[in-house]
Amino acid sequence: MNIQVLSDVNFGEELPVFDPDTGIENVRRFCKAANWMGPRFTDHEAAKKEGLPGALVPGIMSQGFLAAMIHRWAPTGNIKHIDTVFRAPVIVDEHYHIKGVVTDIDEDSGQVEIDLTVVNDAGETRVFGTATVVLLQSA
Amino acid sequence: MRKQDNEHNIDEADIREARAKFLNHVFDEKTFTFTAEQFADYAIACGETASCYTDPKHPDFQASPGFPCSLHPSQRMPDGYPRFNGLGMDAGKAITVYQPIRPGVTLTGRTHIHDIYTKSGRSGRMVFSLIRMDIYDGENLLSSADTSIVIRERPAA
Repeated sequence: MNIQVLSDVNFGEELPVFDPDTGIENVRRFCKAANWMGPRFTDHEAAKKEGLPGALVPGIMSQGFLAAMIHRWAPTGNIKHIDTVFRAPVIVDEHYHIKGVVTDIDEDSGQVEIDLTVVNDAGETRVFGTATVVLLQSA
Repeated sequence: MRKQDNEHNIDEADIREARAKFLNHVFDEKTFTFTAEQFADYAIACGETASCYTDPKHPDFQASPGFPCSLHPSQRMPDGYPRFNGLGMDAGKAITVYQPIRPGVTLTGRTHIHDIYTKSGRSGRMVFSLIRMDIYDGENLLSSADTSIVIRERPAA
């Protein structure tokens, strides 16, 4: 269900899981738009020469996945703040799952706090963070 | 502070001195202009579905919230900033949004060191430098983008 107003949100609610496109072509598109065209992000072989396990999904792209998940859940939600911690690399062409859970609801300000994670198929958290989202108080 | 052009392990006096010398002083100013296509491509690649971020024809079209975190200052650290002895890496990013960022607008990014602190754990001590770029349209503050750089201290030889 899409969230439209604050009263639609329940404390402890899990947001629908979003599986982002981490394919090399999509990462290259992102890097071009962001002016982040370093080979460690766009070329597996070049990244391996740097000692990395493969090309990396830029941290700012993982942050973008988190914001996208929030807007898929609440299309009119106004993200005021996102704080992300990069715990471990996110590798291009591997599968990840973007998850979120509502940890606080402020009825007065219309703000919702969400805990966020990027996890791999093994269930390991690679990126985590929090977001503050403002929702409409009423339709 | 000891010689700034040599890496060295850091003590709490170094932290205090670095805070006094570098916190909240703007050390870089840079201008940026972006097209609507760049904003839309950034958002679509991230999987955004809200049309105010993906469709340049939307009446409220704007950069997706995290976009300012992609901006680089001209210089990453202020002149004379201490080079701590250890392995450095990007520990995280944060964004605070105040107003929308529109395409075609000349933005000014002003960058300062916002915090310097240490944390100690089982694997040793880490020194964090929090670099903040404030993004302005004229004198209007649109967003603040934080980059946290961590140096994991090497044991003293």
